[in-house]
Amino acid sequence: MRPRKTGYLFVAPYVALLIVAGIYPVLYAINLAFTSLTAHFSGVTNFVKSWANPEFLPAIGHIGLFLAIWLTVLVVFVVGLSLMLHSLDSRVSAGFRFVFYLPAALAGSAGVMLWLFMLEPGTSPWDFVLRWFGFSTLGDTLASGHLAIVFAVIAFWSGAGSWIVVMYGALATIPPEVLELARLDGAGPWRTAMTIKLPLIKKWIAYMLIGAFAAGTQLFAEPQLISEATGGFINQTWSPNQLAYNLSFHLGNFNYAAAISVDLLLVAAICAVVILRRSGLFTVDH
Amino acid sequence: MRTFAGARSRWSIGQLLMYAALLIMTAFFLVPIVWAIVDAVGVTAVRWLLNSVVYSTAGVVIAVGLCIPAGYGIATHEFPGRRALLILTILMMLIPPTALVLPLFLEANAAHLLTSPLALILPYGLFPFGVYLAYLYFNTARFHALLESARIDGCNEWQVFRRVAIPLSLPVSALIVFLNFVASWTNFFLPWVMFWSFGTTSRYPLSLGIALQLYHPQTTGFYAGGGAVASGLQLHTSSPPSQVALLVLLAGLPVVVVFVLAQRWIGSGQLQSVFR
Repeated sequence: MRPRKTGYLFVAPYVALLIVAGIYPVLYAINLAFTSLTAHFSGVTNFVKSWANPEFLPAIGHIGLFLAIWLTVLVVFVVGLSLMLHSLDSRVSAGFRFVFYLPAALAGSAGVMLWLFMLEPGTSPWDFVLRWFGFSTLGDTLASGHLAIVFAVIAFWSGAGSWIVVMYGALATIPPEVLELARLDGAGPWRTAMTIKLPLIKKWIAYMLIGAFAAGTQLFAEPQLISEATGGFINQTWSPNQLAYNLSFHLGNFNYAAAISVDLLLVAAICAVVILRRSGLFTVDH
Repeated sequence: MRTFAGARSRWSIGQLLMYAALLIMTAFFLVPIVWAIVDAVGVTAVRWLLNSVVYSTAGVVIAVGLCIPAGYGIATHEFPGRRALLILTILMMLIPPTALVLPLFLEANAAHLLTSPLALILPYGLFPFGVYLAYLYFNTARFHALLESARIDGCNEWQVFRRVAIPLSLPVSALIVFLNFVASWTNFFLPWVMFWSFGTTSRYPLSLGIALQLYHPQTTGFYAGGGAVASGLQLHTSSPPSQVALLVLLAGLPVVVVFVLAQRWIGSGQLQSVFR
């Protein structure tokens, strides 16, 4: 370890940007959230009023339903697929991992655009599936009761591959001797997966769940673009982030918007602290 | 030993002619391909593509330029606040970037930076995950021993960083380039709040250009529709579906290209310390 002065020089540019694009905007949003439109300190008024907004509770309900579906699908499929891939020859599994990761290149608006085509009966290559459900127009597929499922499918399509890569990396750190011993003890692939591999990647699964929960509360691209695609038939305030965006843009109420973004930031910060303190994945030396 | 300084100062006529010939031939090989792309997706879409390239590349350059020294400084230097900075960095990397979008918008609005490329480039350049990766990469006993021997050989702190750390940072830099590029290239929410409502379509990145394909006049303002979807609703795009599909593929292509370029170092096994 070297003395202090040069250490500061190496971290200074990063710290400067961390303040400009990380810490300052957060403090500014917090300040705005506690300020009235007439620029006076207003306590928790903005928070209470934003919670009382008729669109606020429905948005929380939507995101809760979305998270319940998405996290279940994510944990079942990511863990299941990673365990299957780990039992294959590494070159074969590399091919699968690449294919599963590929949609990440189209995350965001490109992927949502593709999925709009996938969801439109007549255009979609999955037309027979959509017809089987009795959907004959895009309006049928996107009926309001289906939206949480639709967004979960799109988010899973573009995001699962990255988590499979991470989970597979965690599985790859299991020493081969351990697996060899299990085999000699007569454990089959199913038992090895359930009693040895799964407990060893437990903390990574917890990390994925909390991280995905924090990211999922921020949902914006999918509902916003699908709202655009349906010409506003679907509410533009489906998710809390959309509500905050619309409050600031269409109503010019930056203080309410700041209050909602502080709510969301708090959820994300709590998740981050839980991951750091409890998962044991991110070590900080002395 | 190669000396780049000597080669740089003496550009002979012969070398200039050689580079001119190479540039002309590059144009010969590339122009038909570029023409095909421009003709297929249109000049406007190519503009968005180039905007995305500029924003993401600038962000990547800033990210690598800050992450490598910062990770190196935290891993190899003792200074008050070091541990706090490391913890703050880990917390920032665990908070989803989307959680910072509205605060960044409020800040950009107050600083009159809306519709400015800086409103995208600076947040793209902030990459705490990259700092953490660089910290893990440099924080190994083998690397510390290497630095110590360079110091014994008489290098000052700057020379140790310049001659030992930077040349060895290639694998972790490649990983940072790839992860940061994908994150900013596919980012939608940040450019949306900074650019969308201000009519500056010529400055849009490709992710917004794609969203523009959906925009049609029926879209009305706040609270429109109240959640009821007309069952006869169909998908409307401002260009034919085949062209939109091409635009989507074009959006994915650079990610694959950067992946292939970075893969050589990412998969090289020199990143063991990161994936312990």
